[in-house]
Amino acid sequence: MARSTRSPARLVIALSVAAVLAVFLLYTSIAGGSKAQVTPSTLAGHSGDVSLTGKVVGRPHGDAHSARGLRFHMRDIKGGSETSVAVAFRGTVPDLFKSGRDVVVEGQLRNGVFEANSLVTKCPSKYAPATSNQT
Amino acid sequence: MADLGRAALVVSLGLAVYATVAGAVAARANRRRLADSARNALIACFGSTAVASAVLVVALLRHDFTFTYVAAHTNRDLPALYTLSAFWGGQEGSLLLWLLVLSAYGALAVAVNRRLLRDLVAWVVPVIGGIATFFALVLVAVSSPFETQTRAVDGAGLTPSLQNPYMVAHPPLLYLGYVGLAVPFAFAAGALLAGRTDERWIVATRRWTLAAWAFLGVGQLLGAHWAYVEVGWGGYYAWDPVENAALMPWLAATAFLHSVMVQERKGMLKVWNMVLVALAFELSVFGTFLTRSGVVNSIHSFAKSPIGSWFLGFVVLSSLFSVALILWRLPLLRARTRLESALSREATFLYNNLLLVALCLTILWGVMFPILTEAVRGETRTMGRPYFDFFLRSFGLPLLLLMGIGPLVAWRRTSARTLARTLRWPIATALATGLLLVALGAGSSRAGLIAYTFSAFVLASIVVELVRGTRVTGSLFELVARNRRRYGGYVVHASVVLLAIGVAGSSAYASERDRKLSPGESVSVAGYTLAYRGLTTHPGANATEVRAVLDVSGRGDGTLRTGVNRYGAGDQPTSREVGIQTNWLRGEDLYVIADQIDKDGSVYFKVLVKPLVNLIWIAGFLFVGGALVALWPDAREQRRLATRLALARA
Repeated sequence: MARSTRSPARLVIALSVAAVLAVFLLYTSIAGGSKAQVTPSTLAGHSGDVSLTGKVVGRPHGDAHSARGLRFHMRDIKGGSETSVAVAFRGTVPDLFKSGRDVVVEGQLRNGVFEANSLVTKCPSKYAPATSNQT
Repeated sequence: MADLGRAALVVSLGLAVYATVAGAVAARANRRRLADSARNALIACFGSTAVASAVLVVALLRHDFTFTYVAAHTNRDLPALYTLSAFWGGQEGSLLLWLLVLSAYGALAVAVNRRLLRDLVAWVVPVIGGIATFFALVLVAVSSPFETQTRAVDGAGLTPSLQNPYMVAHPPLLYLGYVGLAVPFAFAAGALLAGRTDERWIVATRRWTLAAWAFLGVGQLLGAHWAYVEVGWGGYYAWDPVENAALMPWLAATAFLHSVMVQERKGMLKVWNMVLVALAFELSVFGTFLTRSGVVNSIHSFAKSPIGSWFLGFVVLSSLFSVALILWRLPLLRARTRLESALSREATFLYNNLLLVALCLTILWGVMFPILTEAVRGETRTMGRPYFDFFLRSFGLPLLLLMGIGPLVAWRRTSARTLARTLRWPIATALATGLLLVALGAGSSRAGLIAYTFSAFVLASIVVELVRGTRVTGSLFELVARNRRRYGGYVVHASVVLLAIGVAGSSAYASERDRKLSPGESVSVAGYTLAYRGLTTHPGANATEVRAVLDVSGRGDGTLRTGVNRYGAGDQPTSREVGIQTNWLRGEDLYVIADQIDKDGSVYFKVLVKPLVNLIWIAGFLFVGGALVALWPDAREQRRLATRLALARA
């Protein structure tokens, strides 16, 4: 008798949470969707699509709308490694792209060249701390 | 002058510490005069922070490049409006804005409620004081906007893409939202500390929560519109961690705004509401941590600065404080009544809450995924757009459907038959809309078709509710005036429907074409024909404006200009300026990007046709309208409130 008058709230919550978790786990473990995030010095050994973060070094050349694409090199943002990766990109080049900028490219390494299908230039920070000759 | 700013911040810190310590002692020992003194210290903290803010404003407007902050974020060529917006354009200034808004909100909230809720406010003062202490300490010890240097000839200036009116309004609106969530959190914590866990804290902070939530919503929409018109990639939301940082507390606050109605009406979900208000506040601080720490890879290149660890420490400590408080007062948070049926208004609120929180937490999971995989697997992995889109569809579409069902379901319980009868018109409208859309060829996107069908269902249910209510009152105006909160809510629901239609239309049914054109050549996309006339060059306010001129015919007509602004010569920055032709009747945009301008005058154009995208921006106006209706002072509600508070006291 007592059982029939109990609120179904807990059951509803438990079932809903379980359903949500089931969908979530199925998606993340089977369908995947994540991408390895690497730097030029850790790119070696990654064969699939990856997200490569680094600093543009040297002078970019080529045409982003030609078959060869825009060509440039990337190094680790933090420094400490001399590893440089050659990148080829076809598509829309962001306004702020230039040598010295931090960028994120997505694509994969083929024959020693990282073929990027997306290029994002990091927005120079609004929230970077001001640096100068402080007194 | 920098000394004055520094001194004002030290005074703010001292007053915030006093408000925290003296406030806590006074509340615990029930010492009224000491409590008044702590409250006055909190109000004075606003005054001293205002002085510090005024110093920074004057330094910015006078181009005082002895201030490191002014030199790093402005230059002499910057228009006055953007010079002023540099106040929140850098880390130190934005933290000062946090403290300014927090101390203003705190002072106002305790001043307004000091008589009606004296026992509760006594504990609210030390909680707000504690939060203010943290921000003042960071400003004094770690990240001061009043550092000085040898006077520079000129400053570094502001990134061109940020020189946009939207960027003047978007950040402060977000701050008004983020910081505003501290008020309901402080009242919730105050209620727990005081052992007064009735509905008074919810009633007292309802408008604060609603205002903070509205600011956060509008701030995000302004940011989306800025991205759409200024960044020039044709989209408005990229699931970037920094964008998600604003969306997560908004979702938690949306859940809270719904679940408090269940507590007010039925005395249920007390623990849940405490958890939600704490979650919304913690997420707002966590968002600030994300944008400052550089811990997550974002297109917003936030430098790794020492304040990241300060914020992380604050989030951890305040979360532990919240959890401990809730666990301590668990016996006082028992529900007055129980959920009687899974088919009831309170149950639909519960489903709505679970979906909103699930969406919020899956976004949090996506944002944190790189940090977690790095810690667990030693390899950083990121979640891309497909992950976020999947969960937006999975949780967003059922949420949309619930928006149509919830308002028509009775409190306590209803039968399936009664519900079916109530919903017959919305169901018929949704089915007719779905069939019509399939016949018109909208079946190419299943998600788009479902979104449109559900949207029709929600709009029809709102109309049914308004017709039903108007029959009783005799006029729509009288109906809305009788319960502004409820009908303001319906207006907000209608705005969410418009938003859903706009997002579905502009993403699922968009057309795109890339083409290189020389003067005299043309391209056709989705019924529009664009003939490229040639390039023009004009000197602008602080840039040279290069524009490609296109004649539009077909579905639209007229002239469209797109190109770049060049700020100086050589290696100086440029910014792409998109050309947009809007058809308000169809809500559609013809969106043209001059992707690359060659020396021979030929241009690589990216042409997009985005159906119904303007409904997103119209939804923003409707959202503000709905929020204002719900916020507007209501004499009837005041009387209900007075009765409720009297009952709670008794």
